[in-house]
Amino acid sequence: MALFNKSSRLSEAILENPQLIPVVNRLGVALGVGEQSIGSVCAHAHIDPDFFLSIVNTFLDKDYFPADPQDTFTLSKTVDYLRKTAAYYLSAQLPNIERHFSSLLARSGSDNNLGLLRGFFDDMKAQMTECLHYDSQVLFPALERGEVPPDMDRSVSGHREVEEKLHDLLCFFVVHLRGEYDRNLCMAVVSAVFSLDNDYRQNNRIRSRILFPFMQGLIGDANVEIL
Amino acid sequence: MTKGKTVSLIGLSTLENIGLKSLLRDAGAPHVETFGSFAESSPLADKSDAFVVRADTFAANLDFFMPRRQKTLIVSESAGQDDGSCRPFIINPRDDESRAEAVIGRFVECLADNPEEHGELSAREREVLRLIAQGKINKEIADILCISINTVITHRKNISAKLNIKSAQGLSLYAMMNGLI
Repeated sequence: MALFNKSSRLSEAILENPQLIPVVNRLGVALGVGEQSIGSVCAHAHIDPDFFLSIVNTFLDKDYFPADPQDTFTLSKTVDYLRKTAAYYLSAQLPNIERHFSSLLARSGSDNNLGLLRGFFDDMKAQMTECLHYDSQVLFPALERGEVPPDMDRSVSGHREVEEKLHDLLCFFVVHLRGEYDRNLCMAVVSAVFSLDNDYRQNNRIRSRILFPFMQGLIGDANVEIL
Repeated sequence: MTKGKTVSLIGLSTLENIGLKSLLRDAGAPHVETFGSFAESSPLADKSDAFVVRADTFAANLDFFMPRRQKTLIVSESAGQDDGSCRPFIINPRDDESRAEAVIGRFVECLADNPEEHGELSAREREVLRLIAQGKINKEIADILCISINTVITHRKNISAKLNIKSAQGLSLYAMMNGLI
């Protein structure tokens, strides 16, 4: 069952679930949403309300799945959303964590294991960047041409490994952090990683629930064997 | 369950070894090994799951025993009554039989519970983790340790569950942070 529908107030949805802020931004809605319903906001912003609600509800509820995904999602809308998501990770969230991390390292001295965690973050970032570039440069264009994308398995396992590494990074901060460090800046880093971890996990679910079945349908229609 | 876990008695007298072996077995720790001294035990000590030593042996080898204090039972004639909360466990040879049984019972009970409660790895899991950190794949680990690939996979799952670390790179970092490589 959907958490929100067209008559739900968007402001209430966001206040109850602040993790939706980057999601609605990617869908084309800026903050300052007033007291309007989701249906009204979407109408003013020329956004398909069914698509908007499907993304929001799938993001919030791991058990939610739209009743008629083929009617709700088009390839172009889904790919557009995922491109914006990737751009947000690469241009906002990852640099944000890097900035906080650099400040944390600069103000924390060397009597700790933050340097090792920074190395782990850098490796995770490199792998995430590689996966997102594969999506934008290989996966999405191939799908738009109705072709089977190469290295699909590698892409799927790559995103899963990044998800694991984000989880591990949080675990290292929460469980294994040692020595003296600037607690305020550390909280900023951990909060930013938590935010990225949650967003990335939900987004991977959207990819596997919406993009891949859609792709299977598309490839089936084109009479091409799935990988 | 303490099935398969090994307790090493190090540097104790023959009579102490006989008595403690009997008490440990009665409490559910069937695998007990005895060593005349810490030096004699050292090649095998790291593979033991728990230790029973005199206080002077503990004090002389703090680097080894402090990280393992939660699974060490100290034999000390100057020890007061164990209140059941202290770690390491302490037993006094002058304790009466019921008190000695109670201390050893709690020691064996904690030996069974510790890995899950504190995320501690067994000696075998530490070995597997060390090999993962060296970049070995499951097949190589299985060959080196002479175990099946399925056993390696089970160890990996248990290690990940205990440490709450999912990725191979994360496990390597943990091994590095904890001096396993």
